[in-house]
Amino acid sequence: MASELTTDSYINHHLTNLKCGKTDAGWTCDPYAEMGFWSFHVDSLLWSVILGCVFLFVFKKATPKKGSENLAPKGLQNFAEMCIEFVEDNVQSMFGSIKNTLVAPLALTVFVWILLMNLMDLVPVDFIPVLAGHIAAAITDVSWIKEPDDLYFKVVPTTDPNITLGMAFAVFILTIYYSITVKGIKAFAAELTLHPFGKYLIPVNFVLEMVNFIAKPISLGLRLFGNLYAGEMIFILIALMLFFSSIWVGVLGFALHLIWALFHVLIVALQAFIFMALTIAYLAMAHETEEH
Amino acid sequence: MDINATLIAQAIVFTAFVAICWKFIYPPMLSMMHEREQRIAEGLEAAKKADDSLEEAKLMYNKELSKAKKEAAEIIEKANSRASQIVSNAKTKAEEEAEKIMTSANTTIESETNRAKEELRQQMSDIIIDTTKKILDEEISAEKHDDLLKKAAQDL
Repeated sequence: MASELTTDSYINHHLTNLKCGKTDAGWTCDPYAEMGFWSFHVDSLLWSVILGCVFLFVFKKATPKKGSENLAPKGLQNFAEMCIEFVEDNVQSMFGSIKNTLVAPLALTVFVWILLMNLMDLVPVDFIPVLAGHIAAAITDVSWIKEPDDLYFKVVPTTDPNITLGMAFAVFILTIYYSITVKGIKAFAAELTLHPFGKYLIPVNFVLEMVNFIAKPISLGLRLFGNLYAGEMIFILIALMLFFSSIWVGVLGFALHLIWALFHVLIVALQAFIFMALTIAYLAMAHETEEH
Repeated sequence: MDINATLIAQAIVFTAFVAICWKFIYPPMLSMMHEREQRIAEGLEAAKKADDSLEEAKLMYNKELSKAKKEAAEIIEKANSRASQIVSNAKTKAEEEAEKIMTSANTTIESETNRAKEELRQQMSDIIIDTTKKILDEEISAEKHDDLLKKAAQDL
């Protein structure tokens, strides 16, 4: 469906995922087909898996082989140890004396993985989508790709709410699991129903606490999504400046790109850290057995 | 923004990655870091111990050295006093010996003198008798003038 390039179509093109799902006619990735819930954002999932593998590979490679001399670390190992120490410090500050071997690796995965996904935002906005479009147009002959522009391809997984909420809900399920196993199901239920108003207003308490409870994963996922989506949006808008005929607007666009990219590096790292810190905090809360 | 099954897929992928990190990535790294930490601590401890023992050895060395010096001084002093004692002993002995020799020499000289005197006296009396005999020529016999001769010999 290649059409004339307008501001609208450019922005839309960058904000639409490559979605594949099952239709009445079978599996397809046609962006104009009706798919319903059971469809997948293939681009987000692909990049998220690639970057997850990069994380695992880098950290596996950074670990010295068993039996090798355990000498002063260098290079990659230094970087990996720095990350681990950073995560250990954070976990230690919130967990204190509570022993849990899962939290630190979880936090490390969350931090490094989200950092890598966010960093994809710094790749120039048109680079990979255009490349992927050309490759797809060249090697496939499905009906819905006639020109490279027909393929939607988003590169930053964290600008897809499905990705961020997916991780947030996985953390949420883990907090429920620990709440039940550590506190016991009775104490957990009491926590949700017996305050703030005491035992005579249990339904009211439950509604209030439930809102509070559900808000945690949703805010966790949407915060990351919102920040990165906005950042991506600004990159797209700045990139639009290069389409104006005036050369000065284009130069300004370049300058703004640089400035925004530098500033965005902060957001990238900060949001990854916030997601990790909140994950640890929610899990720590699931371990606390104190009375309110 | 549409929510679809990507969310579920991502949750599963997330769980898988966390599980892999939890089982295979994190523990070896952490144990390696702990092991090294421990080894560094041990190394520092050993270095401190070595330092301490060096200090101790220095102290010991100084003590031994001063002890040896003191002993040497004592030995020298003893040797000196012993030497002077030997010298003084030898001196007294020599003096005594000299005295003895002197005394014995003196007695020998005295007795020799006496003997010489006695002999001389005897010879003198013989000479006198002979001379007197010659002078008197038979007038006086030895038997007759014994008393006179004896008297003369005593006067010599």
